[in-house]
Amino acid sequence: MVEQLLRLKLRLLGNAFRRSPWRVVGLVLGLASGLGIAIVAFTALVGARLLDPGVAAPPVEVFGAIVVLGFVIVPLVFGVDDILDPRRFSLFGISTSRLATALAISALLGIPAISLTLISLGQVVTWTRNPLSIVLAVVAVPVIVATCLLASRVSTGVAAFVLSSRRSRDSAGLLGFVALALFFIVFIAFRNANWQQNAGAILAGTARVASWTPFGAVWAAPADAAQGELGLALVRELIALVFLGLLWLAWRTLVKYMLVTQPRSAEARSYHGLGLFRVLPVSPASVIAERSFTYWIRDARYHASLLVIPIIPFVLMLPLLVIGIPGNILALMPVPIMALFLGWSVHNDTAHDHTAIWLHIVSGTSGRSDRIGRIVPPLVVGLPLLVIASIICAPIYGDEGILPALLGVGLGVLLTGLGLSSIGSAQFPYPAVRPGDSPFAAPQSVATMSALIQGLSFFVTIVLMSPAFVFAALALFIPSYWAWASLLYGLVFGALFLWLGINWGGRIFDRRSPEILGASMRN
Amino acid sequence: MKRQAASKSTGSRTTAATKTPVRKAPARTTTPRAPKPKPVETVLSIEGLVKRFGDTIAVAGIDLSVDAGSFYGIVGPNGAGKTTTLSMVTGLLRPDAGRVVVHGVDVWTDPVAAKRNMGVLPDRLRLFDRLTGAQLLFYSGTLRGLSDETVRARTADLASAFGFEDALNRLVTDYSAGMSKKIALAAAMIHSPRILILDEPFESVDPVSAANVTQILRSYVDSGGTVVVSSHSMDLIQRICDHVAVVVNGSILDSGTMASVRGEKTLEERFVELAGGRTSVEGMAWLNSFSD
Repeated sequence: MVEQLLRLKLRLLGNAFRRSPWRVVGLVLGLASGLGIAIVAFTALVGARLLDPGVAAPPVEVFGAIVVLGFVIVPLVFGVDDILDPRRFSLFGISTSRLATALAISALLGIPAISLTLISLGQVVTWTRNPLSIVLAVVAVPVIVATCLLASRVSTGVAAFVLSSRRSRDSAGLLGFVALALFFIVFIAFRNANWQQNAGAILAGTARVASWTPFGAVWAAPADAAQGELGLALVRELIALVFLGLLWLAWRTLVKYMLVTQPRSAEARSYHGLGLFRVLPVSPASVIAERSFTYWIRDARYHASLLVIPIIPFVLMLPLLVIGIPGNILALMPVPIMALFLGWSVHNDTAHDHTAIWLHIVSGTSGRSDRIGRIVPPLVVGLPLLVIASIICAPIYGDEGILPALLGVGLGVLLTGLGLSSIGSAQFPYPAVRPGDSPFAAPQSVATMSALIQGLSFFVTIVLMSPAFVFAALALFIPSYWAWASLLYGLVFGALFLWLGINWGGRIFDRRSPEILGASMRN
Repeated sequence: MKRQAASKSTGSRTTAATKTPVRKAPARTTTPRAPKPKPVETVLSIEGLVKRFGDTIAVAGIDLSVDAGSFYGIVGPNGAGKTTTLSMVTGLLRPDAGRVVVHGVDVWTDPVAAKRNMGVLPDRLRLFDRLTGAQLLFYSGTLRGLSDETVRARTADLASAFGFEDALNRLVTDYSAGMSKKIALAAAMIHSPRILILDEPFESVDPVSAANVTQILRSYVDSGGTVVVSSHSMDLIQRICDHVAVVVNGSILDSGTMASVRGEKTLEERFVELAGGRTSVEGMAWLNSFSD
C-alpha cells in the first residue's frame, strides 16, 4: 500500500514534467525557488553555529515557528488542490489506518519535504554544543518534518471541507488577500521601526512566546539544551511530541471522516429580478456593461483587483517614506498609480470570461460593443474615485493649484489605459484564473508572456501620457497654467486614445474572435 | 379519418406554439416526417469542410446540405469530429478549407448576417455562470438584438416550456449539468432563429426534460424551423430525427433521410456496420467469477 502510493506520487510528479514546455519551465522555477530558500536557510543555520547559543536561539526559534505555522496556514488560505485527497481512495476499500499512514508517508516525496529536511539538518549543525543538545537536535529532524507535513495534510483536509462550497471559497480567497495585505503593511511598519535598537528586544520577546507554542517548541528544545536549561529542554520536547501525536490523531480522524463524506453541495442563494440589467437602456453594449458590472460585484477574481487598487499606492509609498522622501511629495503618487492600475485592470478581461465568450461570438456581437461594455465598470468606479482622490491629495501636497494637473494625469492615464486594454484583451489574451477558481490559484500560464504583456501595457500608457506628466511636473515649479495644460492634454488625448483603442480593439475582436475562443479553450 | 388526425395535430401544435416562442406556424401544414413539398430551401449547406490540428485531421472534407424544416441528426463515435464540424458551422472555429452557407449567407465571409439566422448550443463551453438564469436569458436575447419587452415575455414563455421557473433567480453556476444544458438551449432559441444547431443537447438531461425538449423542438420543426443535433445516442436520434448523417473519423459515411440510411435495420445496427470497430467480448471470462 505504502509502496503503491509512493509510486503514484512519483508518477504524478513525473507527469507534471510532461506538460507543455512553458509549464515545465514554471515548475522548474518553482522547484528551484523552494530549494533555494531551503539552501539559504540551511547556510544561515550553519552560520549560526558561530554565535553564542543565547544569541542564536531567538532568531532560530522565531524562524522555526514561522515555518511550521506556514504549513498550517497556507493550505487554509489558498485552498491547495490536493492531488492525494483521501476521498479519491474511498472506492478502493482500504482500511483507514493503512490509508492514513500511506498518504502521510507519500507526503515525504516532494519539494516541501526535501526543503524541510535540509533546514532541519541545518539546525543540527547550529546546536552541536553539548551531547544533549545534539541528541535533541537530531531528534528534532524527523519531528520537524513530520509535524510540518502532517500539519499541512490536516489543514488541507480541513480546507477541503470548509471551502467546499463555491461561496465560502470565494470569501476565503478574499480574506486571505486582506490578511496578506495587512501582513505586508505590518511588515513595512516594522521595517520603519528603529531596528538597530529594538530588533533584539522584539525578537527575544517573540521567541519567548513562540518557543512555548507547539510550532516553536521543537526548535526551542535543542536551543535550551545548548544553553544548559535541561529541564526546560525536556518540557519543550514533550510539547513538540504531544503536538505531533495530536496531529496524527487528527489526520487519522479526518481520513476516516472524509472517506464516508461526500463533498458538500453549494447552498444556492436566490436573487430577484434582473438586477443591474434594468439600469441602462437595452443594447448589446449596455448589457455587456451591466454583465461586466455584475461580475465585478459577484466574482472573487474581480474583487481581488478592486481591493488592490486602493491598497497599492500605500504599499508603493511606504518604502519611499522609509528612505525619507517628504510626505507632501508622496501625496502626488496615489492618483496616477490608482489610474494606472484601474486602466490596466481590464487588460485581460476577455480571458476572464474563459470559454463563455462563445455567446458573444455566435450572437455576432460587434467587437466595438464588446469593448465598450468591458470598460464601463472601471470607468464608473474610476472617474469619481480619481476626482475625489485628487481633491484630497492636492491640499496634502500643500498647493491647491496642482489639482488640475493631478486630474489631468489621473484621468488621462485612466482613459489611455482603458484604450490600450481594449486592444490588448482582444489581441493578446493570455491565460487568466478560471471562473470559480481562487483568485490566487496560479493560472496555467505562460508566465513570461503575461509578464511581458503586463509590463508593455504599463509602459505604453505612461509613454502616451508623458506630456501630461511633463506638464504636471512643470506645474510643480512654474506658475499654474501648466497644470491646466496637463488637464487639457489628459482629457483630450485620453479620450482620443480611448476612442482609438475601442475601435481598433473592436476590429481585432471581430477578426480574431474564433482565435480568442481557441486561446481560452487551451487554458 | 387521416384529415381529422392531421387537423387535430395541427391544433395541438398551435397551442404548443403559443406557449413556446417559436416562429408562428406558416400556412403550410405537414405532419411530422411526411415528405415535404418541393421546392424546399437548403437552409444549411456545407462544402468541403476541412480542419486539421497539427498532424491529426479532425474533419476531412465534409459535405452536407440540410433542407428547411428538417430535423437532422449527426451521429458518430467520440472524437469523430462532430463538435469540430458544428463549431465551424457556427463561427466558433475557423475552418482550414471549405464553405458554410446558412440561408444563403456564407458564415465565414459575412458572419454577422449568417449568425443572425442561427441559434447555437455548443458542447462543453462555459456559460456566463455568475448571472442568474433570468439574467443569462436576458443577456442572450439582448445580444441578439431583441427589445426589452420581447426578451422578458419570451423568458417567461421559455421558463414555463422548459420547466425552470423556480431556477430563474438562482446563479447558473449553482445549476446541475442538466439544468445548465436546458438554460443554454433556451438561450439558443430566444431570438427565434431559422436554424438551431445543437451539440449534444440531451447529454445529462433527465428523461422527462428530454421528452419535453424534444416536443418543443418538434413543434419548432413543424412550423418550418430546422434543427441540427449531434448525439451519440442512436435510439434518440432514430426516434426524433427525419434525416441523419453518420460521421466517422472526420468524414460522412452515409447521409440522407432516416429511412434511406437505416433501411431495414435499427440506426444503431446500421451505425455499427458503418463504423466497424465492434470488438468481440471473448477473453473476459474472469469477470463471470467474482473475486472476494
